[in-house]
Amino acid sequence: MVVYSFYIFDRHTECIYSKSWLPPAHDPTGAPNSVTAARPSSSDDAKLIFGTVFSLRNMVRKLGGDDDAFVSYRTAQYKLHFYETASNLRLVMLTDTATLSMRNVLHQIYINLWVEYVVKNPLSPVEHKGGAGVRNELFELGLDQFIRGLM
Amino acid sequence: MRLPSFELYITTRTVFALIIINKAGGLIYNRTFHDGGLNKISTNDYLVLAGTFHGVHAITARLNPLQPRTTTNRASLSSTTTGAGAGDLVRPEPPSGLEVLETENFRMQCFTTLTGIKFLLFADTTQANVDLTMRRVYDLYTDYVMKNPFYQLEMPVRCDMFDRRLGSYIREINNR
Repeated sequence: MVVYSFYIFDRHTECIYSKSWLPPAHDPTGAPNSVTAARPSSSDDAKLIFGTVFSLRNMVRKLGGDDDAFVSYRTAQYKLHFYETASNLRLVMLTDTATLSMRNVLHQIYINLWVEYVVKNPLSPVEHKGGAGVRNELFELGLDQFIRGLM
Repeated sequence: MRLPSFELYITTRTVFALIIINKAGGLIYNRTFHDGGLNKISTNDYLVLAGTFHGVHAITARLNPLQPRTTTNRASLSSTTTGAGAGDLVRPEPPSGLEVLETENFRMQCFTTLTGIKFLLFADTTQANVDLTMRRVYDLYTDYVMKNPFYQLEMPVRCDMFDRRLGSYIREINNR
């Protein structure tokens, strides 16, 4: 199982946390880096991911009823897992295609890391504008350890 | 109150609906096989859904985190054109968009043909061999829609034979 990246979106649809576990873009042919720069930045990726997840969630709700929840989708290259909390916090994880459901993993991240280290942190703001309060040492460390433990 | 229907839901493995989207994102076929699996939505909503899905599908193909897209394409092109002929050109697999979507209540399988037509099959989460069903549906499409001399490409599918064959095939699966 390989985890590629992880994103958190708040209820204002802003990406407040993103992390990638991909090795730095490597070039088998040793082409200059200017070519790789053509790929959209991670903030563009986050926006695309949010748009996708939001559309699919609405589509699923329309078809499956209001109690239905979008869980994951898979392409030939990767798999995206989605978990939404009651407070409209959305956790998204990209993994390889062979991975089984990561819904409980995302739920664990929410309970054991988000609630413990971000929500219960007295210095953390209520709204995490620009990711304020999320990028604290305990949360980042805990998340990294948790994901590396899975891989 | 909901328990009996829920039990039925688990014991019967069913295919709920089929949607066909043309390469421009327009809805050309839409049929429900089993009531109760999915919410009833209007034809207009189905059209919106088809368009939305078409867009999302294109985005999901671009989101590939492994990124072979610009670099390797160009690199393999320059390295192979000098040596071997253009026929030996090694191209990476084109990125595929969404193939399977899972939710708590249903699973959606998407099959994209080489010509860009999308078949969306909505089935129960426990339904097995959806790949095979999809393959058969595609066979029926090629046999009874594409070989119909009166069918115009990219236009809504109104073929009696296709309707009948598809109906009996899915009924067979749903009653198994």
